[in-house]
Amino acid sequence: MKMKALYVLVLVVLILSACGGGAAGGTTGNENAGEEGEASPGAPEDRTTVRIGWAGSPDTLNPGMAILVEAYTIFELVYDSMYELNLDGSFTLSLAESVSTSDDGLVWTYKIRDGLKWHDGQPLTAEDIAWTYNLYKDTPEYPYLNGYYTPYFDTIVATENNEVVLTLTEPIPNIESQLVFLYILPKHIWENVDKLEYENFEMIGSGPFKMAEYVQSEFVRLTANKDHFATPPKVDGVVFQTFENQDALVQAIKTGQVDMITEMPNTAAESLDAEENIELVVGAPLAPGVTDIIFNQVDPENCPTEGGICSGHPALRDRNVRLAMAHATDKQKLIDVILLGLGSPGLTLIPDGLGVWYNSSLQDYEFDAAKANQILDDAGYADTDGDGVREMPDGSRPLTFRLNWPSDSINAPRMAELLSEMWAEIGVTLEPQAVDPDALTAQCCPAFDFDIMIWGWASDPDPSALLYVYTTEAIPTGSSETGYSNPAYDELYAQQQVELDFEARKGIVWEMQKIVHDDVVYIIPFYDANVQAYRSDRFTGWITDQAKVELSDVTSLVRIEPVK
Amino acid sequence: MNPLNRTRAILSKTAWSVFTILFVIILNFFLFRVLPGDPARAGIRDPRLKKEAVEMLQARFGLDKPVINCFESLNPVRVGNCGINPLDTQFFIYVGNLLKGELGISYHTNRPVGEILSERLWNTILLIGAGQILSILIGVVLGVFAAWKARTAVDYGAIAVSLFAWSLPTFWLGIILLFWGSANGFPLAGKATPGMSSMPLFQQWGDILWHMFLPTLTYTIVYMGEYTLIMRSSLMDVLSEDYILTAKAKGLSMFQILKDHALKNAMLPLVTVIAINLGFTVAGAIQIEAVFSWPGLGSAIYESVVRRDYPILQGAFLLIAVAVITANLLADLTYTWLDPRVQVE
Repeated sequence: MKMKALYVLVLVVLILSACGGGAAGGTTGNENAGEEGEASPGAPEDRTTVRIGWAGSPDTLNPGMAILVEAYTIFELVYDSMYELNLDGSFTLSLAESVSTSDDGLVWTYKIRDGLKWHDGQPLTAEDIAWTYNLYKDTPEYPYLNGYYTPYFDTIVATENNEVVLTLTEPIPNIESQLVFLYILPKHIWENVDKLEYENFEMIGSGPFKMAEYVQSEFVRLTANKDHFATPPKVDGVVFQTFENQDALVQAIKTGQVDMITEMPNTAAESLDAEENIELVVGAPLAPGVTDIIFNQVDPENCPTEGGICSGHPALRDRNVRLAMAHATDKQKLIDVILLGLGSPGLTLIPDGLGVWYNSSLQDYEFDAAKANQILDDAGYADTDGDGVREMPDGSRPLTFRLNWPSDSINAPRMAELLSEMWAEIGVTLEPQAVDPDALTAQCCPAFDFDIMIWGWASDPDPSALLYVYTTEAIPTGSSETGYSNPAYDELYAQQQVELDFEARKGIVWEMQKIVHDDVVYIIPFYDANVQAYRSDRFTGWITDQAKVELSDVTSLVRIEPVK
Repeated sequence: MNPLNRTRAILSKTAWSVFTILFVIILNFFLFRVLPGDPARAGIRDPRLKKEAVEMLQARFGLDKPVINCFESLNPVRVGNCGINPLDTQFFIYVGNLLKGELGISYHTNRPVGEILSERLWNTILLIGAGQILSILIGVVLGVFAAWKARTAVDYGAIAVSLFAWSLPTFWLGIILLFWGSANGFPLAGKATPGMSSMPLFQQWGDILWHMFLPTLTYTIVYMGEYTLIMRSSLMDVLSEDYILTAKAKGLSMFQILKDHALKNAMLPLVTVIAINLGFTVAGAIQIEAVFSWPGLGSAIYESVVRRDYPILQGAFLLIAVAVITANLLADLTYTWLDPRVQVE
């Protein structure tokens, strides 16, 4: 009977394989269609369409409403904006051929290239750009594009000479990073739709790739815009395929079902690196990720009147305690154990991936438990009752801290375990507890109802956003996680916001990092690395030698070409 | 049975089902309202997000209104106001929209929930439907065969295979098949090859079948075992009845006995299990869909849990509840047809 059961199974297998055979026939059909001049990108046998596997999917194609990085990846390919962000962190003009600034830094005049076209053949002019900027400025429901990038916009008008004149409310030093994510939309389509509800499936843009087909949570299929003014792609198209399962994603590149994968579990990196025809790429991500250990150090005087609970352990307001904990933290061990070595030790919230903005001159606190113990001894934190846990200098409470992290974090539980071991060496105990991310937000800020948390940030190309997190002003808004307050720092923050001279601003930004590092506001265990892989037997020309690594970025995708 | 009684009984059963669904709607609504945190901020934690933007988002998703009028003990999120119009509360707006067939807007994808769920529902029905049909067919045949040849090597073999198949963890079997399949040219994710939409229809269908193969096989193997075991034990019970002995004494062949006397009676327990499984079909096999990246309802639920997309979860739970209740109602009604001794009460 066992044999018969197997026989039945085999029969089912055969029937269904026959269907599979039909599909294989379909791919042959594809090639025929190709001969008729009808391109058929994405089919398995198509050698000129690059297939990318990723674990996500865009949330929405409406740029105003999008939040996920996957959506921005698609926007980068299908839309143009005023500037391009290069992988070394610099910017180049894109839609404009030149720009001039008034002496007071308030009026920016962009001369737009002539002869630009939308994917549907309509001309792209300064009129579209001005209209788009006004749309972002006047739609407060767009959570990112309005809130982040338009606060300094006063007026935007298009002139008859195909120029866009942007007038600001105050001079800002980082206009490039303010404009780079403001994707230019076709006025002739967007003026007739509901700005919030529009799903934008047709997605008429002007960028190097055109939207061909989008099935949410399955795939995005783009075809090349060979007429692009600056960077016409050499491939015929790009397909992004969603894999909900990361093991399947890794398997897909091994078996050649995809040509590149944008992410993988760090555990897979070694085995992929060993594969023939697969190249592993490791580097700082385009939007660098920071993992942070947050100390609640809010001063009772600064406790937010609205929603502030401020139940933090008083010892954490003492720099000596934080400094001792920093000395007792073995960052390299954290990186080796948690990231399997794929990360770099962190200093402040400004990651090394930000290039020039990262203060590379700072010296980190060396890992030295004896020194850490000495600091605590000198500061009067003694273990008076001999239970292995130090007490406050007045003996009131032991150095026992609550440690929380969002329950959806993969790395945090292991980090909590390692930190417990490391800090036990200096007489500090932890009460580790994972918390639902929503509940953790409520606990965090501006409530300050915690002692220590493990969380993280993704960084903008400009350092301003994460520098703001340290300011006193951010405490009641819920942006400050630590409650750190330093008037000297706040002053510098305001200065760099308006400093138009690049070198001078860089000096201030470096100085600010020194201040918060000296004050041990956070312990930044590491900056995560981007780990990607591509098949070297399919496409060549991937950009892997820049400060940042992002193979799915437009910079690589317009450059690669099939291996002959 | 008196046909009038029967009609009345069916009506009352249906009424109970409707009542249960209403209860689910209410429970479902409040379940997501007592969870901690602010859904409008859940996806966005960023220093530059303006307070106004958060408020706009709350307004867009209707979260700026009180959950319910005056019902303070049920309302920990935002204390109700007895002075306000009860119809201007989240609860009545939700119920009103439900009556219009609207399930709200997904926080995450900015699309109507009904649209997303209906796309996903068909994918799930396709996958799980095929898996159910195959596993029922194979399970019944195998179960009948095992019971017929009871206590022979054939029977023991069938039991061993079924027990083994049934006890396999679904996701594990899925991963194993995924690795085996990908080495043999089967696709690793999705429902269709990107770019197939310009192909002739029969090729598109072939492509979908090709993508369906591995997940369907996983589903079939796991459920086949369950159906075989139930079918076998149920049929063995029936075969030990006196009237089967009578049939044998009359000189009927084993085939005739099975066909005319035993099978119909032995189907009852199987119908129960199938009905329950069919109801949960709508939930999809979450594990199978997640392993094979099949864009069904199960993976939609999985994604929504990860992203806290409450409107989708709320809509999906309602859909599942309605499906389970309906399937059970149908099972009840099928019983009376299969076995008139079962009274509809």
